[in-house]
Amino acid sequence: MRNTTTPSDAELLRLMIAGDDQAFATLYRRHQGALYRFALLMSGSAAVAEDVTQEVFLLLIREAQRYDPARGTLSAYLYGAARHRVLRHLERERAHVPLIEEGENGEVVPIIPLLAQDDPFVDCMRQEMSKLVRQAVLALPPRYREVVVLCDFQDLSYAEAAVALGCAVGTISSRLCRGHALLLERLRAPDKLNAASPDAESLRCFV
Amino acid sequence: MNCRDIELIVIKLASNQLLEVTARARGLAHIEACARCAARLAEARALWAGMRAVVAEIAQEEAPARMEAMLLAAFRERAAAQAGPTMIQSPARTGRWPQWMIAAAVVIVVLVSVATIFWRRSSSPNRRPEAQAGIPKPSTTAIVQPAPAQVNTTITDKPALAQRQIARHPRRRRRHSTPGDLSETEVATGFFSLVDGDDLASLESGQVVRVELPGSALSAVGLPIDAALANKPVKADVVLGADGVARLIRFVRQVVASDQ
Repeated sequence: MRNTTTPSDAELLRLMIAGDDQAFATLYRRHQGALYRFALLMSGSAAVAEDVTQEVFLLLIREAQRYDPARGTLSAYLYGAARHRVLRHLERERAHVPLIEEGENGEVVPIIPLLAQDDPFVDCMRQEMSKLVRQAVLALPPRYREVVVLCDFQDLSYAEAAVALGCAVGTISSRLCRGHALLLERLRAPDKLNAASPDAESLRCFV
Repeated sequence: MNCRDIELIVIKLASNQLLEVTARARGLAHIEACARCAARLAEARALWAGMRAVVAEIAQEEAPARMEAMLLAAFRERAAAQAGPTMIQSPARTGRWPQWMIAAAVVIVVLVSVATIFWRRSSSPNRRPEAQAGIPKPSTTAIVQPAPAQVNTTITDKPALAQRQIARHPRRRRRHSTPGDLSETEVATGFFSLVDGDDLASLESGQVVRVELPGSALSAVGLPIDAALANKPVKADVVLGADGVARLIRFVRQVVASDQ
């Protein structure tokens, strides 16, 4: 009788190392979406996300033995490999790809004022909001961006994110807090950034 | 709880993440009394809602389907390679030099030779003028007869054309011009171009430098190599243009023949 329980990553990896292509296919289907989305949110580019996903699984094919279960989950290991490759892409393309929109004098273009407060088309606003948040995430420095993407968008625990990024849990916590603060700054009108005592009524909100 | 503490928990409050009951209650109490923190919470809720909108928007995004097929093929290929001995031989094990290595070796040898010549000339009290002359047309094989009594050797394949006179070092000349019954004859190939578009006719003047190269260098110009001689040095004449760049090369072999 066929065993219907879902095999663990460790079991699939063991079979894969033994040459079982179906085990590899199962691992690929299990993890490729999350890795692709991680790379997509980190880079803002579908092409980069595709390259990174492919490179990570080619690495798994070549060097599956290098994964050490004692150091964390396979998912965290794959995120770590993807993160390394995304950062390499970002470094390579930093000179060519503007991550944020800037004005003629180099100032950051305010994002929130682009949204009309009384816009009746909620769906359109949500799409626009999604776009603005993605822009704001892309504008974060990579060390904050990767934590925000892993913890807020990919729902990794702090411990998993710490393994993926190779740092302490406390570092994840502090970077996440700082990342949120930077995101809020990005999404806030610049003229409100330095307000000494902003009035709640005067602050623009996009929901 | 003060405004600074709220900064640390505002996203957790906005996203309803797990938070200590006391901290949550005190935070909410502060927010009720503080317009600034209330604004922060509203912003954080907006940010969190935006994040959820992004998550929903890209939830179905994934790598293209063709990638799975490509990766599976790569996996099977690797698994097959690991299962049995590979039939693909590494180029490094064939014992042949890549052409770029041969070209690089030629350039290095030529540069060293030129540097040596210039150094010897500059250090010699009796400086002789550089041997520059018209260069003969290419031929498949040139016979060079070193004349024992002459300083210069003449290439005799096309006597009607302007002939190239090659200055030779006296030591080498003595070695070549062995007096007696035996004399050395050089058999040379035609000139092969090292730079695209160059031929002898296109060079108005130049300098010929005699160098030694590994036998495998013959393959760089398409000449067949005797496997037994592949690692033995072969002599070659390299024609340098007026700019010092190696333009042409021919290979020379010395044969011993009895005087007629």
